[in-house]
Amino acid sequence: MEAYADMVRRICFVHLKNRHDTEDVFQNVYLKYLLYEGSFESAEHEKAWFARVTINACTDWLRALARRKWVPLDVLAEESAELDNPSKEVLEAVLKLPEKYRDVIYLFYYEGYTAVQIAKILGKKENTVYTWLSRAKDILREKLGGEWS
Amino acid sequence: MVMSSTQNGLQKSMENIKATEQMKQNTLRYLEAQRTNQKRNIFQQRPYAALRYAMAVVCVFLMAGAGGYTVYSRPVSYISIDVNPSIELAVNRFDRVVSAKGYNAVGQDILQHIPLKNISYLQAIDRLLQDAYYSRYLNRDSQLVVTVVSEHSDTMLDQIHANDSFQALNALTYSSDTACMKEAHQHEMSFGKYRAFLELSQYDAEITVEDCHGMSMGEIQNRIRTCQGHNRKDTAGDNPMKGHQNGHSKSHGHH
Repeated sequence: MEAYADMVRRICFVHLKNRHDTEDVFQNVYLKYLLYEGSFESAEHEKAWFARVTINACTDWLRALARRKWVPLDVLAEESAELDNPSKEVLEAVLKLPEKYRDVIYLFYYEGYTAVQIAKILGKKENTVYTWLSRAKDILREKLGGEWS
Repeated sequence: MVMSSTQNGLQKSMENIKATEQMKQNTLRYLEAQRTNQKRNIFQQRPYAALRYAMAVVCVFLMAGAGGYTVYSRPVSYISIDVNPSIELAVNRFDRVVSAKGYNAVGQDILQHIPLKNISYLQAIDRLLQDAYYSRYLNRDSQLVVTVVSEHSDTMLDQIHANDSFQALNALTYSSDTACMKEAHQHEMSFGKYRAFLELSQYDAEITVEDCHGMSMGEIQNRIRTCQGHNRKDTAGDNPMKGHQNGHSKSHGHH
């Protein structure tokens, strides 16, 4: 559990912003892992499996509960109380992005996946990922200034 | 990728978001509850399932003893850590150490002083290597050997190799198999040491398991190196059971 728990938590945070929802999805992801009967070729393969399953679990959770897909600032304040102000501004901007853009920004800038790898994880075409990355960066550039390249 | 300050800001904010210990413990409890519920559901759908399950439980208890045989306590991988102390860790599907056993007096003594259960195997190895009590055995003449039995031994060895303390010790790593492990345990020996014995016995037909019981891993490895040196001079042949320093040996240590 130790190896990918932080990543699962962060993906939940990017999508859900609510500690109770996060804990429910976190538990569901590990239940899926427990019931998974396939095998992993490598640690990278296993990590990508966790990323994909967590993103899907978050999306399913939001759909099932018909929750808001954007971030209520009061909840964000609760979740990110320990962050310093400049980080909070960046994080808020990322969390206000449409859901699909949040995933690519997180996977690209934080986990260091390439567009090709992200396309495989999300089950999308490579060009779609490039487009989403570009649009997400445009939005962030507009909100945070010209530093997003 | 060139990072701007805002991208660094994202990195820093994300670093602060981590799975809490409470979250992990709640998840383990939830999984246990789910496992129990799943059993109940099966019984409701299939009345005879309860009888079959009861028979299966009896079988499992007979085979495994009356311990709590849950998914969490069931080991799926094993790690043998040998210097002179020989310690074996049993690791469950969640990478947690569910049992630790010393295969000689010093190994048992160390386990009395250093708790290794219920933490990840990477934490357990790190804790061991960082501990002053264990470090007494890691001197210039000693040889740390880590042997893994697992379906994912390569992944596990990759993760073990990433540990800085481990790299500094020039440890040897091997993967082995369950047959070797079973034989080792019949001789009351860790499977890491037994694998080394099997390797040495390829060169030295007179060596016995009893001889190896009294030898440290440094002594066994020195004997192997000496024999390999003679062997190279004699045959110039490569031995398939040769280990790799700081690399994964694919040898299974079992004939």
